[in-house]
Amino acid sequence: MTNRRDFLTGLAAASLAPATGWASVGAPAFLAAGLFPDGAFRLAGLDEGGDILFSLPLPARGHAAAAHPRKAQAVAFARRPGTFALVIDCATGRELARLQAPEGRHFYGHGTFTADGTRFFATENDYEAGEGRVSLWDATSFERLGEVSSGGVGPHDMRLMPDGQSLAIANGGIETHPETGRTKLNLPVMQPNLTYLDLSGNLLERVELPGDLHKNSIRHLSVRSDGLVGFAMQWQGNQTKHPPLLGLHHRGAPPQLLSAPEDLQNTLQGYAGSIAFSSNGSEVAITCPRGNALHLFDVAGGSFTRAFELEDVCGLGAGPDGLVFTTGTGTFGAVDGLRARVLARPDCQWDNHLIPIRSHA
Amino acid sequence: MRLFAFAIALTAPLAASAQDRAAILTDVPSAHILPRFAELADATEALSDASQSDCAPQSEALRTAYGTAFDAWISASHLRFGPTEADDRAFAMAFWPDTKGFTPKALSQHIAAEDPAVNDTAAYAETSVAGRGFFALEQMLYDPKFADQGSAEYRCALIRAITADIDANADAMAEEWQSYAVKLKQPGGDSPYRTQDEAMQELFKALSTGLQFTAETRLGRPLGTFDRPRPNRAEARRSERALRHVELSLIALQDLAARLSADHPEIAQDLDVAFNRAIKSARSIDDPAFAGVADPAGRFRVEALQQAVNDIRTIATTELGPTLGISAGFNSLDGD
Repeated sequence: MTNRRDFLTGLAAASLAPATGWASVGAPAFLAAGLFPDGAFRLAGLDEGGDILFSLPLPARGHAAAAHPRKAQAVAFARRPGTFALVIDCATGRELARLQAPEGRHFYGHGTFTADGTRFFATENDYEAGEGRVSLWDATSFERLGEVSSGGVGPHDMRLMPDGQSLAIANGGIETHPETGRTKLNLPVMQPNLTYLDLSGNLLERVELPGDLHKNSIRHLSVRSDGLVGFAMQWQGNQTKHPPLLGLHHRGAPPQLLSAPEDLQNTLQGYAGSIAFSSNGSEVAITCPRGNALHLFDVAGGSFTRAFELEDVCGLGAGPDGLVFTTGTGTFGAVDGLRARVLARPDCQWDNHLIPIRSHA
Repeated sequence: MRLFAFAIALTAPLAASAQDRAAILTDVPSAHILPRFAELADATEALSDASQSDCAPQSEALRTAYGTAFDAWISASHLRFGPTEADDRAFAMAFWPDTKGFTPKALSQHIAAEDPAVNDTAAYAETSVAGRGFFALEQMLYDPKFADQGSAEYRCALIRAITADIDANADAMAEEWQSYAVKLKQPGGDSPYRTQDEAMQELFKALSTGLQFTAETRLGRPLGTFDRPRPNRAEARRSERALRHVELSLIALQDLAARLSADHPEIAQDLDVAFNRAIKSARSIDDPAFAGVADPAGRFRVEALQQAVNDIRTIATTELGPTLGISAGFNSLDGD
């Protein structure tokens, strides 16, 4: 728990240091957490070729992070069910502040800044009630300003929509309680959804999947510049079934679900870890670390393009020529439609997500 | 930027070398799985018969039959894949934990509406999963809240409907496991398992998730935190079966672990010692419903038991898992 003195010291440091932009740290394209060869968990800034521009120590295994739109600042979340997130100055490695979840809440590992960088949102669990929350923080003082319902249970990923005025939230539907670790408490009655809120927390739209897919947990999101939302899912139902793990949604329209042919779909173990659109927005992909695969789809045609076999692949983002990915074995690579190439192979294990610092879409 | 412009090689092979798993894949279904589901079907038939003879909640014969059948389910419930998972059967047998109180709600709704579904087993199987299975029956038999709701006649019909549904569910599982056992024994073809390794991994997953459920849920839920213990969250506390379920699950998982490690005597030995320690720890506790977790001394013993179960998990993950080709993927294991 951060005490008040540490908190004030952090604030002083924040105000003394000039607000430096991302250019000052080498203009990284992505942030990624990972386990480094010295046994330390670190948050790294990567360029488009996967070269590590900086890496900063984390106190424990990270999950996702959020990048400030202008300042070289990142909020790094602990792995679920963590109760804190660090605000890190990426130029100095200094911890500027620590977001502490209040009593009865924990973070889910994802969050986003507003477009102007003055506010920060995080997904949280009100675990006694078993209800999802979205908390709002001042992005200068990192004071908690309030919270609203996430519109469902088990909110995970959350993205700011391109209009800058609304949030897309993946309510995974799975209830957990920190006392029982990651044990899933409500699978037979789970009901995931994709919820859109305005920045005051008012519900704009809620999208649910057809009844026989109520055990398909909507977990991770990617948003195209025109507002098309891609969502990646994790199937909690009968493992002899292999439902789609990727969906696309335009506000106001029904969701469209995409799947590979059955003989490929059935190798994924019902699990997609990340999703991203390609840089020109014409393609979308999911990574499937349990099936050791990356599945690429054509957005306009809604059709499967091809599968790439990649061990423990999980992080995914838009790259200069399509998509880039990271793996738990340390690889950073690119997929350009026909082939996958290794661009860098640092000696570290990349964690689940690759966080874009500026949108390519 | 370093650029290695070559196509990425296929996935690295998993750690285990190709081994012949046929003996284990024959032994586990024949000696571990099928007998458990046969015993469950017998015990649930006796339970349904007992409720037909005497549906009074205090009936000794009915409560004994409930206990025997519930024992059989707990001893099989870690085998939660294939026919056990299909059609939500495992949830229909045991809807727990019930964090939002769906079970009492479903029962009260049946009683208040005198829902005629109780007169037809097939119709009852279509009702809320929370109103079915052993935990629904437990509340009807042991919770004073249901002792005088609605008419005695309807409560009797409801108890009989729940037991008949449990029995039908157990019969369906026992029957389907007969054919599914062949799929485990003979991967490839129309089996959901393409290789022997995949079938072994399914069985290992049953072991590891069974251990996880006992440590984190059966023990973790009542333990809560030191400042806020939760004895009312103990499993089947109304019929004082919480500790018994821990012991029964450990005995069942010990048998599975021994069979899965048959080719690795040293690992088998480590697992056996750890299971014996945990079972001994469970037997030393005189607190059937974990009511004592709020008291420091009582809590300490239950925490020690949880630690003993976690010790088994460590051995299973670090020693047994790698021999079965369980990929220790940084992300594939994280599951987030």
